[in-house]
Amino acid sequence: MEQTIEEIYEEAVRDIDAAADEGRIQELAVIYLGRKGKVTRYLRNISQLPAQQRPEAGKRANQVKQALNQTFRDAEERLGSAASTDERLDVSLPGRIPARGRLHPVTQINQEICDIFVRLGFDIAEGPEVEKDWYNFEALNFPKEHPARDMQDTFFISDDIVLRTHTSPLQIRIMEKQAPPVRVIAPGKVYRCDSDLTHTPMFHQVEGLLVDRNVTFGNLKGILTTFVHQMFDEQTSLRFRPSFFPFTEPSAEVDILCVMCRGSGCRVCSSTGWLEVLGSGMVHPAVFENVGYDSTQYTGFAFGMGVERIAMLKYGIDDIRRFFENDYRFLAQF
Amino acid sequence: MIVSLSWLRDYVPIEWDTDRLANALTMIGLEVDSVTDRYDHLKQVRVGRIASVRPHPNADKLKICEVAVGDETLSVVCGAPNVTEGMLSPVALPGTQFADGTVLEKSTIRGEISEGMLCSEIELGLGADRSGIMNLGSGHPLGASIKDALGLSDAVIEVDLTPNRPDCLSLIGIAREVAAIQNAPLTYPEIPPDASDGNIGELTSVIIEDPDHCPRYTAKLVLDITVGPSPFWLQDRLMSVGLRPINNIVDVTNFVMMETGQPLHAFDYDLLADNRIVVRTAKEGEPFVSLDGKEHRLSGDMLMICDGEKPVGIAGIMGGLNSEINDRTTRVLIESAYFNPVSIRRTAKTLGMGTDASHRFERGVDPAGTMRANERSARLIAELGGGNIAGGAIDANPIPYQGGRILFSVGKTNRVLGTNLNRDAMADILKSIEFSIETIDDDVLGVVAPTFRVDVSRPEDLMEEIARLSGYNNIPETTPLIPAEGRPLAMTLRFREKLRELMVGFGFSEAIAYSFAARRSGDMLNLPKDDPRRRTLAILNPLTEDQAVMRTSLIPGLLDALGRNIARQNRTVRLFEVGKIFISRGRNELPEEIEMVAGLWFGSRQDGSWLAEEAPCDFYDMKGVVESLLAGFNVPRAEFTAMPDSACNYTRSGHSAEILIDGEVIGIVGEVSSGVLASFDLEQPAFIFEIDCHQLMNRTPTEIQARPLPKFPATARDITLIVDRNLESVRILDNIRNTEETLVESVHLFDVFEGDPIPQGKKSLSFRITYRSSSQTLEDEQVNRIHRDISEKLIQSFKAELPG
Ligand SMILES: [Zn+2]
Repeated sequence: MEQTIEEIYEEAVRDIDAAADEGRIQELAVIYLGRKGKVTRYLRNISQLPAQQRPEAGKRANQVKQALNQTFRDAEERLGSAASTDERLDVSLPGRIPARGRLHPVTQINQEICDIFVRLGFDIAEGPEVEKDWYNFEALNFPKEHPARDMQDTFFISDDIVLRTHTSPLQIRIMEKQAPPVRVIAPGKVYRCDSDLTHTPMFHQVEGLLVDRNVTFGNLKGILTTFVHQMFDEQTSLRFRPSFFPFTEPSAEVDILCVMCRGSGCRVCSSTGWLEVLGSGMVHPAVFENVGYDSTQYTGFAFGMGVERIAMLKYGIDDIRRFFENDYRFLAQF
Repeated sequence: MIVSLSWLRDYVPIEWDTDRLANALTMIGLEVDSVTDRYDHLKQVRVGRIASVRPHPNADKLKICEVAVGDETLSVVCGAPNVTEGMLSPVALPGTQFADGTVLEKSTIRGEISEGMLCSEIELGLGADRSGIMNLGSGHPLGASIKDALGLSDAVIEVDLTPNRPDCLSLIGIAREVAAIQNAPLTYPEIPPDASDGNIGELTSVIIEDPDHCPRYTAKLVLDITVGPSPFWLQDRLMSVGLRPINNIVDVTNFVMMETGQPLHAFDYDLLADNRIVVRTAKEGEPFVSLDGKEHRLSGDMLMICDGEKPVGIAGIMGGLNSEINDRTTRVLIESAYFNPVSIRRTAKTLGMGTDASHRFERGVDPAGTMRANERSARLIAELGGGNIAGGAIDANPIPYQGGRILFSVGKTNRVLGTNLNRDAMADILKSIEFSIETIDDDVLGVVAPTFRVDVSRPEDLMEEIARLSGYNNIPETTPLIPAEGRPLAMTLRFREKLRELMVGFGFSEAIAYSFAARRSGDMLNLPKDDPRRRTLAILNPLTEDQAVMRTSLIPGLLDALGRNIARQNRTVRLFEVGKIFISRGRNELPEEIEMVAGLWFGSRQDGSWLAEEAPCDFYDMKGVVESLLAGFNVPRAEFTAMPDSACNYTRSGHSAEILIDGEVIGIVGEVSSGVLASFDLEQPAFIFEIDCHQLMNRTPTEIQARPLPKFPATARDITLIVDRNLESVRILDNIRNTEETLVESVHLFDVFEGDPIPQGKKSLSFRITYRSSSQTLEDEQVNRIHRDISEKLIQSFKAELPG
């Protein structure tokens, strides 16, 4: 025999260590472990050894073969990955961000409100933002010179034309056009001449109206409770308390348990533990008379809510004027 | 309405604690705004022992006292004659707020520091004694607050009343509600009958010239009185609800107004010409000075209380200086009237005066309560002023009050409320607030509302009484039976939703600006005189000059927002707004409301990053957004034509285009002109578009028909033409698109180049034309031939050259 198996092994390890790339490793694998490779030939020649040496030599040669196999695999891995270092990505680098805009928070909340009522079977209607006194006040049972008009600081265009102070004129416009039953909500901008932390001269409301035979105050409570539970969460407690709107009788203010302090009292709820979120009531018979509905046959309920108010509660915004500054840093949060 | 529990207890026993009471009031519709303790301001006033008294070096009448307040001893300058060593007296520390609102500060009096103030009863609002500092007697721990030492506590409840409940603008009114919810008795004040009868008619008279404005006027006379301060109990009642005591006569009228809700006025009888009253409207332009010293010019529709010659009071609002109660007054005429609410409200608004009296008259006082309130006042004035009531009363009542009976169905009430209350339960509720009930049959009650409930006239009003007193929260929640029918969502809503979605997808954030604009916004946008957007709708009572008219364009709002964003260092701004503009048709017509969408792009097309350099946005970025928006709505073909220089008002000429669909202009896109930028205090370029939503919506296909996909491959050929620099590329594109050659599938402009080697005044345009047949794979030969034909036609039509 020309070389001992130990010599072959040492030579192979030296060659592998010296190899510069994956290609050389593959060549070496052929030289040592190939069909005509050195280890293979040695194994084949074992049969020529004296019989008593054969088992020991065979065992040793197979150990070497296994060890070399492992060494080749390690070398291949080492040299293989080293070769592709240039193509590796720094995946922590920021990606190319496609431009992304945001819907205004008022739009988002408005859509959420509308979606809830649409699921409950309501239609959506819209109307003018500049309104006749008749639609904004008179037909809603606010007589001229009635102190109830003081409840809403009005922007006047003339004696007879105002910026609508609420979305309630839609009640009249809808009932004038459509015979009962009516089931509709009316979102839109409204205007009041008032400006501070909680008031802006323009804001958004959603009005609701349901008129049919046998509509009850209990129904009003049922619908608005469903709404509040979907808008906030199922656990939100509500309370209905008597109030006054000229176009509803009985009238109710709807409070929810303060979402900030859960009723223990905080700045947002003026320590009362409750937040006013909706005005509502049974449609006043005078309103039905004004649109020619038969109030002995039909009853109904109406409600209205401020969209900004709900957005402020949901997002924890404390200054309503933020909504109309259109500061990117604000808009980008929603 | 402010009530103190100490006063309220005169009419009703209060069994509940204050929180429970406040909550219960809120839940029956008398919303409690706040509950405070009227003695809280005395927390800072301590019990002090006067340890030593020595004369003030610089003032004969002042003394310097060392006052022990527990841990420390204060040096206090005092001028009271009764200050003696060893006396316990209240000492106010700096920071104390007195009943009249003033705040005590540490001060130097005639060169001597005073670290507090020794107080009299009157200064603390605890009594009428002003003669010296208060002697607290013995047994109080030094340094304790006198609120604790004297056990002073009185809850004051502020109720935010709705305008339909003037009956609760009185202590008795609130007490009545408290009595109803606590199921406790209500006690009215006793008014002993007048001793003598009869001679008032010889002393005065009342003539009502205008009964519509004044349906009832009562007068009583009290003679031989002495005007002076009220006794402390009366002052205390007034102070407990935040009123300032004045004198025994005026205090009584205020007291009775707070007690009953009926405003009263006291005239000095001897200052009335002819000692009589005439109720009439003012003469146009008549001058009048009210009690507060203000001079008014009256107009002919204002109701005045006059004497034999001249006005002496503005009816229901304020008396006149010329007949005011004064130190020499000995005879008093007391007025208690019912005035027309509309008349009072109109006059108060015109004169800009709102008083406790007008507040009540506007909402409606008890039409049957006038005489009772007058008798109560006369009795108290006679008692406190040491005088005699002239016998009898004047009661001019040209239009008597007429109450009606309401027929009230128990069944219908239950049907409307969704309740199941029986007839007796409903009757009991109504009786508890003094409604009188008569049973008509099993279902129907005849109900007469008490005269002070001016808000109740229909069965529905009674339903609310039933509901609120039985508790809104006891009405079960139910779901209405809604028929399963619905209408399709209006097209405008779906359009707007999609519009917003598209814009957000293009990287624009939604803005919402006020619908107001500055009066000069037309000038700021450089609009021509005859532009319809100059026809602004002006607001009669704007909040600010910047919000004086309704907007006629969305652009100023976006530019304002841009300015704010730049000021807050937001360097790239992509905003859009969907909203209405308002074009006036004259002040007495509703305006035209037009929904618009506008966008604004400022700063970079893309922010700088490790991947790419920052690049500023330009006209083509904004135009691309518009093109993509129109494509999003499947608008088949829009055109962009250069805006004539004369039409470029707020956009830069040569950098603006009109957007047309089917030859109709629906909007514009362009760069904001430097002049307009300057008027909004902006400098760097900004790009905008503005589109009429309705116009766009009407040109948006409502239905989409799918086309089969091509079966055969397409072949593309390029052509580069050198043409005149001013030739609009769209003309070549249109020419290729409109060719009769049916195999042209599409054309795409992929390069524009000016400069060497292209000659001056020329530019090179490169197009890629895609050819495709729907029936076969095209042969190269065939495509080359068509392409050559098209190229030749283009060269001819546009006097173009091929590159050398
Ligand atoms: Zn809270």
